Amino acid sequence: MTEYSVVGKPLPRVDGIAKLTGQAKYTTDIVLPNMVYGKLLRSPLPHAKIVSIDISKAEKLAGVEAVITGKDTWGIRYGFVDTPTYPAEERPLAEDKVRFVGEAVAAVAAVDPDIAEDALDLIEVEYDPLPAVFDPEEAMKDGAPQIHGEITRTTSCAWEDWGVARKSHSYTPINNVAGRVLISYGDIEKGFAEADHIREDRFWSPATSHMAMEPHTIVASYDPFTGRLEVWLNHMAYELKRYWLHKTLGIPIQKIRVHQTYIGGAFGGKAVIFDFEVLAGFISRKLGKPVKIELTREEVFSSCRNSIRFDTTLKTGVKKDGTIVAQHVKVIVDAGAYKGSAAVAMFLSHQFSEPCFNRRNVRHEGVGVYTNKNFGFAKRGHGAPQNRFAVDSQIDMICEDLGLDPVEVILKNLRKKGDILPNGDKLESYGLPKCVQLVADAIDWKQKRGKQRDKNRGVGIGINGMFSGSGYWPFACAAIVRLNHDGTITLMEGDCEFGQGADTTYSQIAAEELGLPLEDVNLISGDSELCPMNYSNFLSGGMFVGGGAVWYAAHDLRQKILKVGSELLKVKMEDLDLKNRTVFIKAKPEKSLTFGEILRYNVQKHLGDPLIGMGYKKAVPEIEFYPSLSKGTGRFTDAYGLAAATAEVEVDRETGRTKVLKICIADDCGYEINPASIYGQMVSQAVMGMGDALLEEVIDEGGRVINPNLVDYEIPRAFDVPEIVILNGCDYEPKGPFGGKEAGECARAAVIPAIANAIYDAVGVRVHRVPITPEKLLNALKVREGKK
Amino acid sequence: MDIAKKILKVNVNGRPYELLIKPKTTLLQFLRNDLGLTGAKQACMDNSCGACTVIVDKMAVKACSVLALQVNGREVMTVEGLASRDGKLHPLQQAFLDYHAFQCGFCTPGKLMSSKAMLDENPHPNEEEIRRDMEGNLCRCTGYTQYIEAIKAVAQKKEVAK
Repeated sequence: MTEYSVVGKPLPRVDGIAKLTGQAKYTTDIVLPNMVYGKLLRSPLPHAKIVSIDISKAEKLAGVEAVITGKDTWGIRYGFVDTPTYPAEERPLAEDKVRFVGEAVAAVAAVDPDIAEDALDLIEVEYDPLPAVFDPEEAMKDGAPQIHGEITRTTSCAWEDWGVARKSHSYTPINNVAGRVLISYGDIEKGFAEADHIREDRFWSPATSHMAMEPHTIVASYDPFTGRLEVWLNHMAYELKRYWLHKTLGIPIQKIRVHQTYIGGAFGGKAVIFDFEVLAGFISRKLGKPVKIELTREEVFSSCRNSIRFDTTLKTGVKKDGTIVAQHVKVIVDAGAYKGSAAVAMFLSHQFSEPCFNRRNVRHEGVGVYTNKNFGFAKRGHGAPQNRFAVDSQIDMICEDLGLDPVEVILKNLRKKGDILPNGDKLESYGLPKCVQLVADAIDWKQKRGKQRDKNRGVGIGINGMFSGSGYWPFACAAIVRLNHDGTITLMEGDCEFGQGADTTYSQIAAEELGLPLEDVNLISGDSELCPMNYSNFLSGGMFVGGGAVWYAAHDLRQKILKVGSELLKVKMEDLDLKNRTVFIKAKPEKSLTFGEILRYNVQKHLGDPLIGMGYKKAVPEIEFYPSLSKGTGRFTDAYGLAAATAEVEVDRETGRTKVLKICIADDCGYEINPASIYGQMVSQAVMGMGDALLEEVIDEGGRVINPNLVDYEIPRAFDVPEIVILNGCDYEPKGPFGGKEAGECARAAVIPAIANAIYDAVGVRVHRVPITPEKLLNALKVREGKK
Repeated sequence: MDIAKKILKVNVNGRPYELLIKPKTTLLQFLRNDLGLTGAKQACMDNSCGACTVIVDKMAVKACSVLALQVNGREVMTVEGLASRDGKLHPLQQAFLDYHAFQCGFCTPGKLMSSKAMLDENPHPNEEEIRRDMEGNLCRCTGYTQYIEAIKAVAQKKEVAK
């Protein structure tokens, strides 16, 4: 194996000094001269017509600079899903009616936030309440309140800009259906006919908050003389936000600049555009002044995207030995007032399953339904946590029915390295079998499974798969590496640093390829003006796509340096190597030239060329346009990240409280560019998954979120964290930078069923709805006692 | 409508300040908006996450839940005052760097100040004491493990530099 000196090392993060000294600038820290502060008035009703809005008193308040309503922004539409069949229907301010508690109905900008807040109180809105519907099955019935009328062709669609012809198209949802997916292969009836044992079970996953520490914030600054809009905001790929701002505000895309800031956590929740972001741009243009809008934590819970509510009915047929022969998945997604990414999540819950088990005959049906509630988006795994909770719980139940061992049954049903999935994706790297074995051994599976019920202790297992970027939009990245006079380099790449460690790992990749120490990399990242195209920082495409572009760019520069070196040292390129800002002859290391000498020579002899490397990478080279989400056909990713998790728990039968004793995760991220970073991602997912399994749910009553704060919505705290064991299940990915691929999202979904299954192993009852709270577990225990 | 501003005399990171402020200004607003010390962060607004933690005299305090006037005459230390002025990191900062004890970094200033106050009072806490003490500091990225290790490493070394 090649000996590396920069990649594969747990080097300190390059953003460390800034973040540890308080110097790192987040959007919330940005203050511009002449800046005004925006606040949003939000609907107190889940479903109502807006009869009138009187803003006259608010406008007269001293210090108020602008008050706008849906009349000002009428017709602006956007959404994550915006296709010819399903045009986007989100809007920055409600127009003729409100559809959920927390929907924005007016916005105010004032010279200070307190005045803006006071002005909100002076806005008088007259509502005419409409019947509301909160349950998706009720919403689908005839006669249910209809949440949307005609949804018209919209302003934000990216398709036509990338050359996809589309017809002008409007539609009216019927029975509140917001979207459907139907994916099938094999012969599902034949599969069930061949099965020796069939189970059908239903599982629910609630909305949960990403709970990124930084509440969503934007600063938008429009210059009326140049027509340029400068923004600082919470994002996960500036191309996305820039695109939506361009489309919704009608500002030419090249006149919008997203500035680099650090981002205080994202976990999927900050990739889409939000009402307040469009409004900040809108008001800034109206006033010709910078506008800052900082949301409260309550607004983040009630009005920003949470994870997607899944109701999954799962029918699985197996042979006596546990071999899966058919699986029929029926998903109902409670989409909320707008469709968000409901359709995408329903599809992904299928496709992330594909690299896990070979299920042979599959039918995956999903329906997303509008209800009068806040709507959802991707959260770390986007559909996988909800699906794995169902699938891996049911595998556990099947094993109980048949007297089989879940680890053996999982191993038996896994795909194999080199397999081509039904949609055409190939598993060129596949560490999942190794991961399963590693976590089973680490939890002492054979000694503990089914043998600790007398102590109310149990162990459980779960698995998962995840894309390394996908064929969504033109999911592609470019990077530039510039050789500097002193032999250091400047790396320009667009990914933003929201905690995942992109700045550090990309710098490591460039340094390794050019034989430089990490500190010789000067980094410019996350700025749409200074960096080339970048789409990779969501769907776990960072390392594989963004990091891949960096690798190719560094390689391009490496080749250029070697070429100049070979001219000067009069040897072949392959006889040279790079180390510590020099190019040298491998056989005679004393014969060397510094990068500075190389640069000077090349500028002098080659028409001023200062040596710049360029690289680019697309998530799936074969895809020109979108694959079909609704049918699940077409290639989706070039590499799957994979993970397995086991957990050990102890249940207190008196209180119903579950204490997690240990979580083990083995992850296949291809290659650990920075092992300390990978370790951090895994521990993070272990703890987040524990929160999902036991604690977290955004609870609403009558459409109103009743726990929109960190007192009533609990996330794990330092004292809750159990023993955590992280294991390396890597299988080298031939298409990834140094063999690397996805790492940040996969494992969370494996942890949830691992804990749920461990609870069953401990006390013999199963709760079909996460979070498995003490109340639910006590009820389940009581029901079982009653049956005895 | 307008309530008269009041004088606040306070020492922040070793420097004396005397400013006129609105009585309802929180310590966090004062530090961030009046002094431009943006290290302490606002994340929950209800005293439950610890991202705004600073040290007042010797006590870790959540700056979002204290009025600036309440620290009149006292000494406040923020994350900006932790490293020495010549650019040398405090041992806790160095340990956080070495152990990858942060990711997005938003809660990190608060954690650093909480753990400094803890170690100043109890230089050699055991792991349970560290976990108990850090319960008020929420973190969504790290899963806590690496920063507990970082604090342990500092605690095991010697006295923390004041």
